[in-house]
Amino acid sequence: MEHIIQVKSLAKIYGNQAALEDVNFTVEKGKTFGFLGPSGAGKTTTIKILTGQLLQTSGEATVFGKPASSLNKPQYRREFGVITDNSGLYSRLSIEDNLNLYCQLYQVSTKRIGEVLEMVSLSEERKKQVAKLSKGMFQRVILARALLHKPALLFLDEPTSALDPANSALIHQGLRELNKEGTTIFLTTHDMNEAENICDRVAFLHQGRIQLLDQPKKLRRQFAEASVCIELKDGREINVPAGPEGAKDIYDYFASDQVVSIHSNEPTLGDIFVELTGRKLV
Amino acid sequence: MTFSMKRMYAIFLKDLKDLSKNMFITSSMLMPLLIAVLYSRMDELSIDMIYLVINLSFSTIGVFVQSAIIAEEKEKNTLRGLMLSPATILEIFGGKSLVTFLLTLLTIILSARLIDYEPSSISLIAIALIISSVFYIGLGTLMGLLTKSVVEASVITLPIIFLFGFSTLLQTLINTYPILSFIEYLPNVQLAELAKEVQLGAGIEDIWGYLAIILVWGIGIWLLTTWFYKKKETAG
Ligand SMILES: Nc1ncnc2c1ncn2[C@@H]1O[C@H](COP(=O)(O)OP(=O)(O)O)[C@@H](O)[C@H]1O
Ligand SMILES: [Mg+2]
Repeated sequence: MEHIIQVKSLAKIYGNQAALEDVNFTVEKGKTFGFLGPSGAGKTTTIKILTGQLLQTSGEATVFGKPASSLNKPQYRREFGVITDNSGLYSRLSIEDNLNLYCQLYQVSTKRIGEVLEMVSLSEERKKQVAKLSKGMFQRVILARALLHKPALLFLDEPTSALDPANSALIHQGLRELNKEGTTIFLTTHDMNEAENICDRVAFLHQGRIQLLDQPKKLRRQFAEASVCIELKDGREINVPAGPEGAKDIYDYFASDQVVSIHSNEPTLGDIFVELTGRKLV
Repeated sequence: MTFSMKRMYAIFLKDLKDLSKNMFITSSMLMPLLIAVLYSRMDELSIDMIYLVINLSFSTIGVFVQSAIIAEEKEKNTLRGLMLSPATILEIFGGKSLVTFLLTLLTIILSARLIDYEPSSISLIAIALIISSVFYIGLGTLMGLLTKSVVEASVITLPIIFLFGFSTLLQTLINTYPILSFIEYLPNVQLAELAKEVQLGAGIEDIWGYLAIILVWGIGIWLLTTWFYKKKETAG
């Protein structure tokens, strides 16, 4: 597996406050990697270091096999796209004018504008002035702009934090499609559903350290209680051990036709985060 | 490092379009023009008075307008987008300075017309004006990078407009307060002195000293601006 991003013992200290401490992870080509953590965990700091916008205090961060700090060289900038929580647009200009500028900067055909606007469902708004867009539309234009030059690697810092569920779903769908076409995605979020929905692997970041890192499915299984919950027709919910010792109970409830539903007691990523850190993801 | 005319031109066109919709900034062009209209009613204008109008054009447009359009890129978080794109510092600042440069020259030509200023040598004065604008636009760029918003930029450029716009008038104070003698070396004062010599029939061999001093100011300010921009690039 080719590692697009490789981070070793990364640390960042602002003044005398550590924002990142001993962070280690790798992102494989073609995968979607999620950085999950509450605000202040160090997510934006990590993205800024990985995109060459900020120098780390110590440790290594390589992207495409080169030090992340060299990414601020113009010849590498075509390889990646970034959305941070403070990406901006020219508000007096139209969506089209904004994207047109970026087509020229990245030297891609202006035909791409139609394609990316299609992807974020904004084809109709093409001529609309940016100042008149809703927050959700604005965020989608930002995404469209990051996709113009078809980057191999996409950094997204809380891409849906300002969006309602409908808009978020639109963006998630777009990201899954991009990922299918081979784009590697590094995403930060404090939304566990987002992480669960689109990430191949997630890292839990808390107070500048990675607490846990694995596939969402494996994490849920690892933290699952070894029991299933049976909902009965009389309204009771009963937890039954998931091993052989529970087999007879389960058989009996089914045999006596008392069962409404049966489901596993797998925790959500949010539950796991709270269990691990004693803190909610906000 | 490659230089792409196309990228610079795209940034220039964007700024031109954006400025044309920005009344707050375009209206600042009116200030030097208003003073020119007032002066046009007087009969004999000294070179010092003519250059008060011209230096005012430099400081309101070269410095203020430039600082405001750079500060706005910071305020709206669009500067980071340019920094992260393949555009080089030369293309970014080239594109952004070109609009201001043309506006400055346009204002100066209009004001010169209004006050009937006819230099004895158009080409020498043109060279001096172009070199001066490199300095003022560099100063405006630096001011824009140092501030976080358009409002902040307008406040911090006020004393600068005053210093470079009116300090030719302060020259009379140098005899009383020797501490002010540095004023002589300011680029605006050098420009006015140069213009006086040109009006008396001086050629390039007589005025290169003035040009050199203005050029040193220009190079110095752009070195500082570039250093500051590079620092900002990796400062988060
Ligand atoms: N420029 C800065 N100067 C000082 N401290 C900072 C700066 N940027 C971020 N921090 C601090 O570093 C920590 C991590 O911030 P950040 O990476 O923005 O977290 P997140 O994106 O996960 O919310 C926070 O405690 C924040 O206050
Ligand atoms: Mg953040």
